[in-house]
Amino acid sequence: MTNTNDFISQLASKLGRPTPTETPPPVEISVPQYRLSDSGERASIFLHNWQALGGKGAIVKSSDDTLQCLKEWFGELPITWFKDNPQTLLAWDSLPMVAESAFSTLDWPLTRYTQSTLDPRDRYAIAAHAELGITGSDWGIALSGTIVMNSDPLRGRAVSLLPPRHLAFIETEKIRDNLFEVLEEASALGTPPGAIEMISGPSRTSDIEMDLSIGVHGPIEVYVIVINN
Amino acid sequence: MTMYNLTTDQRVDEALANKFLRQATRRATERLRNNKYKASDELGNWEQWRSAGETIRKHVIANLDFYLRQLIEQMESRGVHVHLAKTPADAVGTVRNIVREHDAKNVIKSKSMISEEIHLNHALEKDGVAVIETDLGEYIIQIAGEPPSHIIVPAMHKTRQQVADLFEPIAGHALSSDTPTLTRFVRIQMREQFLRGDIGITGCNFAVANTGSIVMVTNEGNGRMVSTLPRVQITLMGMERIVPSFRELDVMLNLLARSATGQRLSSYTTILTPPKQTADSDGPEEYHLVILDHNRSEILGDKIFRTALNCIRCGACFNVCPVYRQLGGHAYGSVYSGPIGSVITPLLEQDWKKWGHLPYFSSLCGACSEACPVRIPLHDLLVKLRMRKTQSGHTPQVEQQIFKAYRYFFTREKTLRRALRLGSLLQRPFVRNHRITGGPPPLSNWTKSRTLPMVAPKPFMQIWADLNNKR
Amino acid sequence: MKVSLFATCLTNALYPEVDLTMAKILQHLGHTVDVPEGQVCCGQIAFNSGYIDDAREVARTLINSFEHSEVVVGPSGSCIAMIHHYYPTLFEKEPVYLKKAEDLIHKSYEFTQFVVDVLKKPDLGAHYSAKATYHPSCHATRLLGIGEAPLKLLHHVKGLQLLPLPEAQLCCGFGGTFSVKMPKISEAMVAEKAQHVLESGADILLGLDMGCLMNISGYLEKIKKPVKTMHIIQLLGEGIKS
Repeated sequence: MTNTNDFISQLASKLGRPTPTETPPPVEISVPQYRLSDSGERASIFLHNWQALGGKGAIVKSSDDTLQCLKEWFGELPITWFKDNPQTLLAWDSLPMVAESAFSTLDWPLTRYTQSTLDPRDRYAIAAHAELGITGSDWGIALSGTIVMNSDPLRGRAVSLLPPRHLAFIETEKIRDNLFEVLEEASALGTPPGAIEMISGPSRTSDIEMDLSIGVHGPIEVYVIVINN
Repeated sequence: MTMYNLTTDQRVDEALANKFLRQATRRATERLRNNKYKASDELGNWEQWRSAGETIRKHVIANLDFYLRQLIEQMESRGVHVHLAKTPADAVGTVRNIVREHDAKNVIKSKSMISEEIHLNHALEKDGVAVIETDLGEYIIQIAGEPPSHIIVPAMHKTRQQVADLFEPIAGHALSSDTPTLTRFVRIQMREQFLRGDIGITGCNFAVANTGSIVMVTNEGNGRMVSTLPRVQITLMGMERIVPSFRELDVMLNLLARSATGQRLSSYTTILTPPKQTADSDGPEEYHLVILDHNRSEILGDKIFRTALNCIRCGACFNVCPVYRQLGGHAYGSVYSGPIGSVITPLLEQDWKKWGHLPYFSSLCGACSEACPVRIPLHDLLVKLRMRKTQSGHTPQVEQQIFKAYRYFFTREKTLRRALRLGSLLQRPFVRNHRITGGPPPLSNWTKSRTLPMVAPKPFMQIWADLNNKR
Repeated sequence: MKVSLFATCLTNALYPEVDLTMAKILQHLGHTVDVPEGQVCCGQIAFNSGYIDDAREVARTLINSFEHSEVVVGPSGSCIAMIHHYYPTLFEKEPVYLKKAEDLIHKSYEFTQFVVDVLKKPDLGAHYSAKATYHPSCHATRLLGIGEAPLKLLHHVKGLQLLPLPEAQLCCGFGGTFSVKMPKISEAMVAEKAQHVLESGADILLGLDMGCLMNISGYLEKIKKPVKTMHIIQLLGEGIKS
C-alpha cells in the first residue's frame, strides 16, 4: 500500500510548499449561535422539539412522577413482555436515582446489558429481543431536541439501538442550548469515547417516493424523561 | 438492468420520456429545496454560516497534507489500520484483502458514495461475498442493479409498486405497496443481516483530524448498526472530507443537515473515535480506514478547480438545478450527478471522451452556486471545464470553426453589418408570418420546438447611422 | 449626462426596436445618447462555450469601442453580467487591458439598473393597462445582482397589473449555445417555463433579456399560445408615449 510519507509529500508538492510542521492557526469563526434568553425554558424547549420529531416525553420531579409516566406510556405491556422474555427491559448498568427507584417500585426488573452474558454476539441477540432499551444521557440539545450519549464500559451502544423502543433519562442540568456547546464540552474531555451518539427522534426515512416512514432500523418509538430536581 | 451501457443521447431521451421520473424528480427536489429554505431561514444569518463553511473548507483544503497526516497519526496511535488508496483499484484491492483475511462471507454496508465511485460491490460479489446494502434507498437500487439517481435519496425514481415488485422475490410473496409495509419488511429483513454481518463498511461525512474521529450523519439507524455490531469495520473516505476539530465540525453539521434534508440535526449523528475502548462491550475490535485519492490530489494541485474539493455532499445544488429537474440523475451517466457531479466527474475520471458531455449539462443559470452551503462557484467551474476541454482539443472541429468565424465577424462591425444584410435576404425561404420556422442544422435544433424572429431588415447600428446622417 | 448605448448583438440584429426605444427613453429623460462605432458583442457566447481566446478578441473590440464613453448602458442583464463577472478573467494576463476592462465595468449598467439606481427615476410616468408577469433572467438576477430595479419600474406603470410567475427562479433553458447544443433538455425547460407563464394568467410576459424572451416566445408561438412578449424597455416606451 502507499507509504504515508510519499502520499503526504505528494500533496505538499501539489500545494506548492512543504507540509507545515505546526498546526495552522485555526480559522476565525463568527456565526450567530442559537441562544435561549431564559435558561429556565431550556428543558421545556428541549421537550417541545423532541416531541415535534415524534418522540414522547415528560418533565418529572420525583420518582413518583416517573412512575406515573411509565404507567401512562407502557401500561400493562411490560407484564406481557416478561412472560415471553425475562430480559425484555434492557438497561445501562446504572440509571439516575428516580429511574432505578421507579422501576423497582413497579417491579419491572431491569437486565443490565453489560452483565447479561459474556459473548458480544449473544449480547446483541439479547438486545434484539428486548422490547425496551433504557439509558441515561450525557447531554441534551434544546434547539434540535437531541439526546447525546457517550459509549462506556458500563453502558452498551446496542441498548439505544436494537430494541424497538428507547427510553432516555436526562437531568435538566445536562441540557445545552445548541450543538456547539456540546461539542466544546466533548472536546474538553480529551480523547473522545469510542462513540458519541446524538439522537434526535425515532429512526426515519423518506427514500420511497419521498413518503416519510418512521421506524426503519433503529428504534420505532423514543421516549425521554427530563429530571428536574 | 444497468444504466452504464447507454450513450448520453439515449439516456437523455429516456429520461425526458419517463413521465413518472420527471414527476418524482420534481417532487423530491422541491421537497428538499423547500425544506432547506425553511431550515436555513429558521437558523437565520444563513450567509454568515455559508461564509464560515467556505472559510473552513478552504482552510482545510489549503492544509490538506497537514490535516491528513494528523488524522492518520491519531488513528494509527490507537491501533486503527489506515490504508491510503491512490486509485479506485487500490481501494477495492484493500477491501478485498481485508474481507479475504477474515474469511468473511457477509458484508453489510451503510451509505458510502466512495463505494459507488470505486464500484466496490461488483468486485466483492465477483469474489463470492454477499454484500448487503442496508440503507433503504441503496438497498432498492442494489436489487434493481442501478446507480443512484440523487445523492441523498438514491431511489427517488422508483414508484412504491416498483419497490414492492423488487422486494417480492426476496419476501417469497407479493407485498402491499404502501410505505409502512415496505419499510417494515426491510426492517425485519435487515435485522438478521445486521446481526450476522462479519464485516461492516461505512461511509464518512467528516473525519476529525485532531481526535482521529469519523462522523456519520444518518437517519435510518443502519449506519449505527454497521458501526456497532460487526467485529470488523471498514470506513471508506474521500481524502478531502476532513475538519480540523470539533469546533469546525459544529459549523459543518449545521450546514449539512439543513442543506441536505432541512433537519436541524439528522436522527443519528454519530462521532466514532475508533476503535472502541477496550472495556467497551460494543463496537468493532478491528477498524480499517481506507482513504481514497482518485485524482483528488490532481484537483488539489489545480488552482482553478481546487474549490470543487470543498463539497460536503449535501445535494443542495441538485435541488435547484433546472437541468437536473428535467432529467433526474441517471441521464448524467455518473455516480455523481447534478451540478457537483458535472464538475467533479471529469476531474476525477480524467477522460474527456467519456465525460466531456457533463460540463454542458447546464445553462449556466447559477442557481447551484447560489444554493451551495460552502459557496463553491459551481457555474464558474463548469465554464472553466468547457475551457479546459476546448484547450485540450476535444471539441468538434465544426464548433471550433464556427467560433473562429464568430471571432472574425464580431470584431468587425461594418463587415458584420453586411453579413446581416445578406442574412436577412437568405432567410426568406425559412420565413412564415415574419418568423423563421425551419432551417438547416444547427438552426433546426432550435426551430424543431421554437420559432425565431427574422433578422431585421436593418440592424440597429445601421438605423442609428441613418438617423444621424439625416440630421 | 452623455449616455453611450451598448446595443448588444442580439437586439442589434433581431430586435433593433428595443435599442431604438432605449435611446428614446434616455433622451426623454433629458440625456444625450451616442452609439459608439465598432461595438458588436460582449463575447459571452464564445466564453460560455469555452472558447476563451475568441471571446477575448471580441471583448477587446468592445472595450475599445467604449473607451471614451462616460457611461455605458445596455438592454441586457446577461451582457452586462458578462462584462462585470468575467472580463477580469479574460484579461488577467494583460495588465493594460485589465485596467481598461475594469474601467468599463465601473461605468457600465443594465438599463433598469441605470434608470433606478443611478438616475434614481423609478417612475417614468408611464401608463399601460394590462395583466403582465415578469421573468427574472438568471444572469441578471444571480450574476449581476440586479435586485429590485425592474420591479420598481414596473410597479410605477399605471394600469399595469403584475401577476406572480410560478417557479419564477427557474431558468428558461436558453443559456445561449445550450439551447442549440442540448436542444432536448432546453426544450423541456422552456416547455415548463411556458406552462408557468400560462398559469400566471398574464397576457404579457416581460423581461430584461431578449435572449430569454426570444426563447420563451418562440416556444409559445410554436404551441400556438397568444401570450405577448415584451422587453421592459418596450413596455415603458409605449407606456410613456401614452
